[in-house]
Amino acid sequence: MSNAGSLDGFRVIDFTQGLCGPFCTMQVGDGGAEVIKIEPPAGDFARRMGPPFIGDESAVYLSLNRNKKSVVLDLETSSGREAAARLARDADILVEDFGPGAAVNIGLGYDQLRSANPKLIHCSITPFGEDGPLRDAPGSELVVQAMAEYTASLGRIGDPPVRVGADIASLNTGVFAAQAILAALFHRLRTGEGQRVAVSEFGALLHMRGIMWHSMSDPDDWYGFHLDHYTNPPDYGYQTKNGSLYFILRRGNSEDWDRLVMSLGMEEVLADPRFDDYGRAATSIGRYATEVKPIWEKAFENRTREEIIDLVNSVGGDAVPMMDYPSLLAHPQVAALDAIAEIDHPTAGRFKTVRPVARFSETHNSIRMPPPTLGQHTEEVLRAAGIRVPKS
Amino acid sequence: MTKILEGIRVFDLTIAAVGPWATKLLGALGADVIKVEAPGGDRLSHAVPPMIKGNSVLYISANHNKRMIELDLKKEVDRAIALKIIEKSDVFVQNMRPGAVERLGLGYDVVAKINPRMIYVAASAYGRIGPMAGEAGIDPTVQAFCGWCGITGPEHGRGEMFRHLAHLDITTATTITQAILQALIARERMGRGQLIEIEMLTAAMALQTTRLAEYFATGEQPTPLGSAAATTAPHQAFECEDHRYIAIGVERDEQWLGFCRALKLAELIADPRFATNPLRVMHRAELIPILAGRFKTKPSAWWMIRLNKEKVPNGPFLTFEELRSHPQVLANGHIVEIDTPHWGRMHVDGLPWKFERTMAGPIRAGGKPGQHTAEVLRELGIIDDRGTGVSK
Repeated sequence: MSNAGSLDGFRVIDFTQGLCGPFCTMQVGDGGAEVIKIEPPAGDFARRMGPPFIGDESAVYLSLNRNKKSVVLDLETSSGREAAARLARDADILVEDFGPGAAVNIGLGYDQLRSANPKLIHCSITPFGEDGPLRDAPGSELVVQAMAEYTASLGRIGDPPVRVGADIASLNTGVFAAQAILAALFHRLRTGEGQRVAVSEFGALLHMRGIMWHSMSDPDDWYGFHLDHYTNPPDYGYQTKNGSLYFILRRGNSEDWDRLVMSLGMEEVLADPRFDDYGRAATSIGRYATEVKPIWEKAFENRTREEIIDLVNSVGGDAVPMMDYPSLLAHPQVAALDAIAEIDHPTAGRFKTVRPVARFSETHNSIRMPPPTLGQHTEEVLRAAGIRVPKS
Repeated sequence: MTKILEGIRVFDLTIAAVGPWATKLLGALGADVIKVEAPGGDRLSHAVPPMIKGNSVLYISANHNKRMIELDLKKEVDRAIALKIIEKSDVFVQNMRPGAVERLGLGYDVVAKINPRMIYVAASAYGRIGPMAGEAGIDPTVQAFCGWCGITGPEHGRGEMFRHLAHLDITTATTITQAILQALIARERMGRGQLIEIEMLTAAMALQTTRLAEYFATGEQPTPLGSAAATTAPHQAFECEDHRYIAIGVERDEQWLGFCRALKLAELIADPRFATNPLRVMHRAELIPILAGRFKTKPSAWWMIRLNKEKVPNGPFLTFEELRSHPQVLANGHIVEIDTPHWGRMHVDGLPWKFERTMAGPIRAGGKPGQHTAEVLRELGIIDDRGTGVSK
C-alpha cells in the first residue's frame, strides 16, 4: 500500500468562504489535491465565527480548512484580480461562491478563463440556484433550512421554529459540490474536456427531502413517517429510569417477542393489533410508533437504560442510548473507528476534528497540513507562480 | 451530449435508503445501475409507508434511473449469474449488516479476484470493527447515537430527533457517491479498483464537524438554541407583527450594517457591544430582545422588503404546497414533476448539480422488482436457464 491519494497532483483555487465551499474543498484536499485558499485581507469570515476561539482562530474555521494553503489577495484591486486570474490559469479546479454572475465582474468567470485553460473545472456554489427570481439573494444556514421546510420536522406546531442543530445547508451542499467536481474531473480524464459545474444550497436540501415530495404526490393514505412527521410531537426517544434510548424491532420471531413482552410486563399488548407482527409497527419508523410510545415508556420507567438496551438487543432488535457529545466521544466505538483526528496548528496548538469519512484500501484520504493562518502561503504560492507579491 | 458515467456499470446490492440513494445518483450521471434484489426484496425498502399504488415511496424514490433485477443469491445458479454480472461491472455497492454479504459469498476478496478493477463499497451503520461491529442501524438509531439530537431543540429545552428520519441516510449516501467518484478517478490513473468502507456514524459526525469543534474547543456540550446559530448572531427566526416568523442570517460584517439600517436601528451600529460578530455572539442575551421587540412592530412582508433592499439574508418558512409551485424551485428544477409508468405523475427531488457540457438525468422512475431481469441478462449475454431446471 502506498500513501498516494486519488487526487494527488491536482490543484484547486478556492475563493469560497464560510462553511459550504470550504467543506467542499477540504474534502478535495483530503483526497490529495493541493488547495490554495484565496482570502481577502480581512480573511475568510468563518475565522470570526465564534466564540469559541482557539488562540486566534475560530473553532469553526479550524474544522473546515485542513490541507489548504492560504493566499491573501485583495480582489477589489486590479493587481489582486490579475494575480487571481493568473493562478486560475494553472489550476485544475476553481471553486467560487461570489454569487451568480459575480465571478465575471472580477475576471474569474468560466468563459473568461476557458481559452487560457480549457481543462479547467469551474464550480459555482450559490444559495438558491443560478436562475429564477432569487438568483441574487444572499443565503444563510437558517434561511435555507427555513425555505426548504426543514424546520417543519422539528419542534411543535405553533411554537417558535427549531432548526437542525448541525449546519446541514452548508455541509451537505459541500458534499454535492465535491461530487460535481469529481464527476467533471473523471470526465476530463476520459475526454480531456473541462467544464463549468454548479450547485446550490436550496437545491441540495430540497433534493435530500425528495422522499417527501414523492410521498405527497398521491399517497394511498396519509400515514408513515415521511408524512406524519409534520404533525407529530417532538420526539425525545424513549425515556427510561436513567436516560433516553432509541430502538427498533424488525427481525422478530414469536419466542423473542414473548420474552420481550414478558420481561417488560407488557402482556396487555399481545391483544393489541398495533403490536402485531412482533411489534414491527410499534416502534421507530412503524406506523403506530408515536401513539403507542407511552405504553413502552410505562414499561421502561422502572428499568435502567442499559437493562432495556441489553434486553432489546437480545431479542434481535436494535437499541442504542441517546447520547450527547461527551458520551459519544467517550464511546469505544468512536475510538475503534478512529473517527477523531488530532492536528497540530502553528498558533492554535493541538486540536481535534472528525477524520475524512471514506476509507480506501489503495488511495488514501489523509490529513497532511493544518488549517493555514491568514496569508501563510501568500509569498510561497505567488513566487512559485512568478507573480509579484503585493505589498500588504 | 454525453453522460459522465456512460459505460460504467454498477452492481447494486443495496437495501433501504443509504445504498440505494447513492447508486441513484450514479444513475443520474449516466451509469448503468443494475439493482439486484432477492425475490420479495428487503422489508425496509418495500414495507415502509406511505405507499403509492401499493409500492413504498422509499422504494420508488431511492431507485430512479436503475434497472431492477431479481436474483436469489442463496441459490448457486443465481449466484453464478451474479458473478457473471460482477465480471462486467465497474462498481459494487452493498450496505448490508457487516458479515451478511460474506455469507452470500460476495465479500470484497471474492469480488476483487473475479474483477480486480472493481470499486467495491461496504457501507454500514457502525463499521466492522469495535464493540458495535456488525450491529445494524437505521437513520433514527444513528441519530440517537451520534449526538445530533443534543444540539437540536428549543432554547433551554430538550434535545430532539429530526423527525424526517432519512437525513443521515441520505448524508451517508452522498458520501458514498463522492467516494466512488474519487475511486473512479484513481482507477483511471492507476488502473485498478479498491475497497471503500463508509460508516453512517462517521458520516453523521462529519456533518456535525462545526458543532463538534465547539465542543472540542470548550469541553462543554453545545445546547439547543431553537432556531439560532451558535457562532453567528443575529442568525435566527423572529416573530413579526402578523405572527409570522422570518429567518434571518447575519454572517458577514457588512450584513450587520445593512441589517441595522433595514430595522431602522442605526444606533446599534455604533454600539460597541455589537460591533463584531464575536461581540454579538457574546452579547446575544442583550442583543436579541432589542431585535425581537423591533420585529414585533411591523408585519413580516415589511421587514422582508427592507432586508432584501439591504441584501441581508432572510426568508420565510415555506411548505411543500408553496415550494412545488415556487418560481425559484421551478426555474432551477429543485423539485420536478415526472410521469412514471406505474405510479402516475409525481413530484420528485431534482438533481443536486448542474453540468454545462455533460448531461445529467433525465430522472426516470426505476421499476417494479424484477422488471428488467430478462432484459439485463439478455443484454449481457447471460443465458438464463433457471426455468429449464438445467444449470449451466
